[in-house]
Order: sequence, then structure tokens, then C-alpha cells
Amino acid sequence: MGTAKILIVDDELIMRESLAGWLERDGHQVDKAASGEEALEMLENIRYDILLLDIKMDGMSGLDVLKRVHENDPDVAIVMITAYGSVSTAIEAMKNGAFDYLMKPFDPNELGLLIEKIMDRQAQDRETLFLKEEYRERSRFESMLGQSRAMQEVFRLIEDVAATDSTVLITGETGTGKGLAAKAIHSKSPRCNGPFVAVNCGAFPEHLLESELFGHQKGAFTDAKASKKGRLELAHGGTLFLDEIGEISMRMQIDLLRVMEDRVFYRVGGTQPIEADFRVIAATNKDLAQAIRDRTFRQDLFYRLNVISFAMPPLRERKEDIPILAEHFLHRFSQESNKDIDKISREAMDEMMLYEWPGNVRELENAIERAVVVGKGRTVKPEDLPIFSPEHRTLAADKSLQEIEKAHVMTILGETDWNIKKSADILQIDRSTLYSKIKRYGIRRPD
Amino acid sequence: MNTQPAHTIILSPIEALDTSLLDRIIGALITVFGFPVEIMPLIDDLAFAFDRQRRQYHSTLILEILDRKAPSDALKILGVTRQDLFIPILTHVYGEAQLGGRASIISLHRLKEGFGSEGREKEYHTRVVKEAVHELGHTFNLRHCKDPGCIMHYCHSVADVDRKSNHLCRYCSTLLKDEKERLMSG
Repeated sequence: MGTAKILIVDDELIMRESLAGWLERDGHQVDKAASGEEALEMLENIRYDILLLDIKMDGMSGLDVLKRVHENDPDVAIVMITAYGSVSTAIEAMKNGAFDYLMKPFDPNELGLLIEKIMDRQAQDRETLFLKEEYRERSRFESMLGQSRAMQEVFRLIEDVAATDSTVLITGETGTGKGLAAKAIHSKSPRCNGPFVAVNCGAFPEHLLESELFGHQKGAFTDAKASKKGRLELAHGGTLFLDEIGEISMRMQIDLLRVMEDRVFYRVGGTQPIEADFRVIAATNKDLAQAIRDRTFRQDLFYRLNVISFAMPPLRERKEDIPILAEHFLHRFSQESNKDIDKISREAMDEMMLYEWPGNVRELENAIERAVVVGKGRTVKPEDLPIFSPEHRTLAADKSLQEIEKAHVMTILGETDWNIKKSADILQIDRSTLYSKIKRYGIRRPD
Repeated sequence: MNTQPAHTIILSPIEALDTSLLDRIIGALITVFGFPVEIMPLIDDLAFAFDRQRRQYHSTLILEILDRKAPSDALKILGVTRQDLFIPILTHVYGEAQLGGRASIISLHRLKEGFGSEGREKEYHTRVVKEAVHELGHTFNLRHCKDPGCIMHYCHSVADVDRKSNHLCRYCSTLLKDEKERLMSG
């Protein structure tokens, strides 16, 4: 079983502590809240996979918290904790979106199995999302464009790095094109005729990732009806791209380190050594140095990966590339949708130049795609862009980019009544990015 | 109270235990963790942890007392009791430990399950030894392991305990080595 980020909400200290201690031994990251109000405040800043929520609490009831959380972020699995005799309330909670309920004191097995079930469900959802993203990624390869100094430096590094067979670590915010850089290195390397095999390490739970990477022999585990090659084997002669490397579990870190040291690996349940003939490129948007200090990432693996490293610049630091990227995306989407849109108005371009692009090139791409869909004439206008807010115009003259972004985030949150999912959709950023912005700008929900 | 040499694991039986069982536990702890083990009774009455309603003993409270009563330079402590243990949110536990802390405890109460009136002392002792290593492993910051053969695997039943081996898998061995290096350097 992998690990989950869990919030326990219970007004009894002893229950919170005993449950937290138990779950931590399973390797989960656990936070605790003593009331519904405290939980909602924590949820504004941190994204949890699972909420264990006591139904009967002083102040805000568990049911009220459930409704608020479920409305804002339906992906959080909520398990209600109930005392003997209040099962009817628990059933009411299930009708309101709770995943399941547990009656306390509960059998340790029951808790473990339920957490496992939730994590499997969430992993399946992530995998589906990854596959959709991977499909879109295929058409993005050509979009690593840029005339800025920052991008010219990246292109130079890619050329230099490609010629070697060294391991590369690419860092950078989400949406900056780390995957594209990895593909570019591969396509310019001596291994270019071999396969480029990508794995999103954050998209699989641990037990699936192991089999996905290493493959398995028939009968290695209950579902292993036939032998299967893993991605390491499929990458033979080519490049293995490990995206979101900062997300892998300690066990997988130990396995990967061993492969990189010994240059051989085994399928799960296999005894035949397989030669590891591939180049490794890894990418992360995490601060791995901090992860090492937090003891969630192994230093020895970091050194193995960090032979050559470079950072993809965020779009806000290479704004001179926005026009060329925007034109490129416009051309592509207007062709794809058979629409005759071929210009971006000066005002729309100004809006784009003013915006901070927290989701980077991917967000810009999405913005242009939307503009093409909603646009009426031949020219993209500011109001066609999802980033446009009339307030920007009055604010723009004397405000910094951060102030404008903060104002925009506040506007959207206000419009959606602080519905995090809706707000993130409108802003075209993921929820964790939105949470970090709320935290960074100290935005608080009005009373 | 005696001053113990640094890096000693204290094995603290709460009630009298067979010498042969104690010897097996000591042997296993030395083999797996590589530190000397000393027997030292620290608590002789668990009344403070007894819950009248549940008729069980609250293990978290026992851990606190074990930690408080052990010599300050003891590296880790393992308590062993015959009583049935619980933590408030769960119906029962086979044992409990302070993750990355000092104290751990195991209960023998449910480990005889399935043996009936037959002695089967050897098998029973094997179960006890596995649970002892498992709980003490948590104090070395080891979490539950998904490998059903690893001693750090969380067991749903005594049958699972019987199935798992009495050693750490290679992942948990690596993590234990890391933790020991950290303890030695710090």
C-alpha cells in the first residue's frame, strides 16, 4: 500500500491521537483538527486525500463539514466516524457524499482495508487523468518554442546534454515543459532511434508502479495472469523518463537506486536478471533538497539522478516568448477546429503579457484553446481569454503582477462562493496550485 | 536507577515470563537490530492503564510510563505483557510503539489463538518473537511493509503472523540501516 495524506477531524483529543498514531505506522501523512471549523481552515491551504470525520462534534457538526468539503472538492474521500447508535446519521452522510462510515471503536483490519480501497479508487482516477494528459502531450512536442535568453540557454543545455549518456534531472514548475525538454534531449541523443518511455511516477499507487516499472512474471501476485514487460524493459536501448520523481515511495527509491547502481533489474516475481540499457531522465516540480531534509527522499538516489540538472524557466520569467507561443497555439487550434481565427488583438496580447501564468505554457495553451472555441470574429479579444477580468484594466496601471494575480484569484473565489474545484477550473490551474496561491497571498474567506 | 551503557535495548517484562521465551526474544532482537539487550522490569502494576468499561489496558498510557521509567541512556524499550491491549479508536491491538521514539509494547493475550489446549510452545514463541521485532521496529522509524513475508508487515490475524518470516525484507533492512546510522551519528 502507498501512503495517503489524511486529515482526522474529531473533538476528542484521545481519539485523534490514537487514530493518528495508528495511521502513521502505516506510513500515512496525518494531520489533526479538533473541530469542523479548524478542519475547514486547514482545507483551505492543504489538499488531503482522505478525511476521517467524526459525526458528533461540538460546534460545527460532521455533517455540515461533509457538505462544505464535498461541494468544494468532491475528490476528497470522506469517511464518517460514528458512535454506536448513530448509524442512521452515518447513512444520511453517505447520501450527502461520504465514501463510507466506521463505527468506533473499530476493528484495525476494517480501517486498513477501507483506506486501501479508497487509495485504489483514487489511483485509478489519477491514472485515467494521466492517460488523457499523455494523449494531449503527443501533440505538444512542437510547442517548445522561445526566443528569450532563458529558453536559448535551455536549448543550448539540451544540445550539450543530449550528446552524453548521463542521467539528467529537470526541475521546474508545473506546465513549464519538463516533459518536452526530456523528449528533446532524447531526440537529439545517440539513443534517438530507441524508444522514449515516459512514466508519471505520481500517477500510480506503489504496488502498481512497481509492476509498471519492473514488469512481472505470471503468478507473481493474484492479478498477474500473464507475464508482462515493465517500462524499464520497454525502454531498452532508449530513454526512460521518470516524471514526478519526487512522488515515489521510499521502497521504489530503494529499487531505482539499485537499478542505477547495478544496471540490472528483475521483474516482480522473476529471477532472471535483465540488463538496464537505457538513459534515465527524471523531472520534478518538488524541492528535492527539502525532501531530503524531510527524509522523504533518499540522498543517495538524488546524487545518482542529479548528474546533470537544469531548471525550466517559468513563463512569467520569459514573457517575451508569450507572443510567439500564443501565435503558435492559435494557429494550431484554429486549424484543428476549422475556425478562421488568425489574429490576437493588441489588447488581448497586453492582457496576456500582464498575467502571471501560474500554470505556465500549459495554461497559456489552454487559454488560447478556449479563446478559439468561444471567439466570434477573426481576432482573439481580451474577453475571449479566461484570464481576462475588466478589473485588470483599472488595476493594471499601478499594480504589480502579484497584486493583479491576487485580485484575480480573489475575484474568482468570490464568484464561485469559494468553490475550490470550480475556481481552479476557471483559473485553469490544479487545485494544489490554487491552494498554494491562497496561502501565499494570505487570502481568507470572508465571514 | 542504574545507568545503562548507551545503545542498549531494554526488554521489560511486566509479568513473569518463561526464561526460554525471554531468551528467544533477546536473541532475535540482537540479530535484527544489532544492539545489546538487557532485561529490566520497569512496571509491576498496570492498574493505571485499565479501562473498566472495556476491561482492557490502554497501551499508549503504558508506553508513556515505560519511556519515563527507563534509564535516560537506554536506546529503546520493549515492554511485554499478558494483558489485552487497546487504543481508544480500535477494538484491540497486538502491540503499540512510539514511531521513531523509544517505547514499544506487545501483548501476548491474543497470540495463543488457534492453539487450543495443545501446547505448541515453539510456534507460540515464534509468534511472540515476530511481534516483538515488529513493534520494536516501529521505534526505529520502520512503517508497515507491504511485503507479506517481511516482519514489518501488518498482520490482520495470527494466521498472517504465522505466514510472515522472522526477518526484515531488503527494503526495511535498508531503512533500518539508514536509521541506525542516523542514531549513531546523532
